[in-house]
Amino acid sequence: MNGIHDLGGMHGMGPIRPEADEPVFHEDWERRVFGVMIATFAGGQFNVDEFRHAIERMDPAHYLESSYYEHWLTALETLLAENGALTRAELEARRAKLAKEAA
Amino acid sequence: MASHRHNRPLSEVELRVKALESLLTEKGLIDPAAVDEIIDTYEHKIGPRNGARVVARAWVDPRYKERLLSRGTEAIAELGFSGVQGEDMVVVENTEKVHNLVVCTLCSCYPWPTLGLPPVWYKSAPYRARAVSDPRGVLEEFGVDLPAATEVRVWDSNAELRYLVLPKRPAGTEGMSEDELAELVTRDSMIGVGQPRSPGA
Amino acid sequence: MPTLTRDMVPGLVATGGSCRVAAEVPAKFKAGERIVVRNVNPTRHTRLPRYVRGKRGVVEQDHGVFVYPDTSAHGEGHKPQHVYSVKFAARELWGAEAPAKDCLYLDLWDDYLERA
Repeated sequence: MNGIHDLGGMHGMGPIRPEADEPVFHEDWERRVFGVMIATFAGGQFNVDEFRHAIERMDPAHYLESSYYEHWLTALETLLAENGALTRAELEARRAKLAKEAA
Repeated sequence: MASHRHNRPLSEVELRVKALESLLTEKGLIDPAAVDEIIDTYEHKIGPRNGARVVARAWVDPRYKERLLSRGTEAIAELGFSGVQGEDMVVVENTEKVHNLVVCTLCSCYPWPTLGLPPVWYKSAPYRARAVSDPRGVLEEFGVDLPAATEVRVWDSNAELRYLVLPKRPAGTEGMSEDELAELVTRDSMIGVGQPRSPGA
Repeated sequence: MPTLTRDMVPGLVATGGSCRVAAEVPAKFKAGERIVVRNVNPTRHTRLPRYVRGKRGVVEQDHGVFVYPDTSAHGEGHKPQHVYSVKFAARELWGAEAPAKDCLYLDLWDDYLERA
């Protein structure tokens, strides 16, 4: 698809900003997303092409504004709901429950 | 699995991750110990020191270098590096005449077994947009000086081949051991946005 | 497929999962051949970036047979076909202002290409 991910040749994206001594993961949730993605991929929940396409289907503004592992998280939520492994209602209910417990 | 006590409310993204992971675990679709092992492997065990060993070997052993450039996957596997996101490797050589630069404009494809996980800048819009259309501008931004007559070759990793740059062996490194040479090889030099260190630098 | 367990992780990491397909599929092109990239605008998944569509290049190398992402992403099977390293002059892609001697290589599936 001619989506926002197809960035080759675009202008206006600003300077490249390498971070000195960058850690592999910046947040603990990023680690967990990485590990969960590999584990669900290895478990046959989706293939790599489906995974990439799920990211490509993100809202373009959200894609540009969110971090890399949030792309992965969004793709996982999309694919696992689409293949019936879980439902968006379950995810929402669990988020609400965790939010209450953490407050 | 470690459980963390939080002194603050969880952010929205943290809640989403916890919800996802806890549900998948309860449904038996993921094993948290496997998730921990995956994280540990890519955070601590696999990284650019692997690629540096491949480069150093190619610098000292011309036959190995030939194998590396013609059958990259097998040659890299000789040193024990293989697998996820490195199943089909192509190694491209920097010379006096040619400088190579690797990008994935469409997402973030990167040779994990030799370089580990990619840095944020490699996966972000500015690099992905400009590496293909203005590689010399990108190289300048990274401080790479190229002779004017150099040909720049950009490799956009849009399929399942993964690319590794074999940088030029720096001058003044005659007689150095493979281990010493590997120390000079930077991650950025194997992407093409840097050069290896000079001895004593 | 079974759930991945901890003891399976090292083997998974070291072996990975190549997208090569061991299928006898004839190659439409060969090294040295001039091609033009099809001007297609699929609304679904593709690994054909916009910047190369309709452009002329030369096949450098046949990488062999791989899964085709345009079908694989949609549950429509592997449709295995050859993938080629294709070389494009920077000026072909970006215009006369681009450096004369620079070039770009992309890996393109049979279905993305036509004879020039």
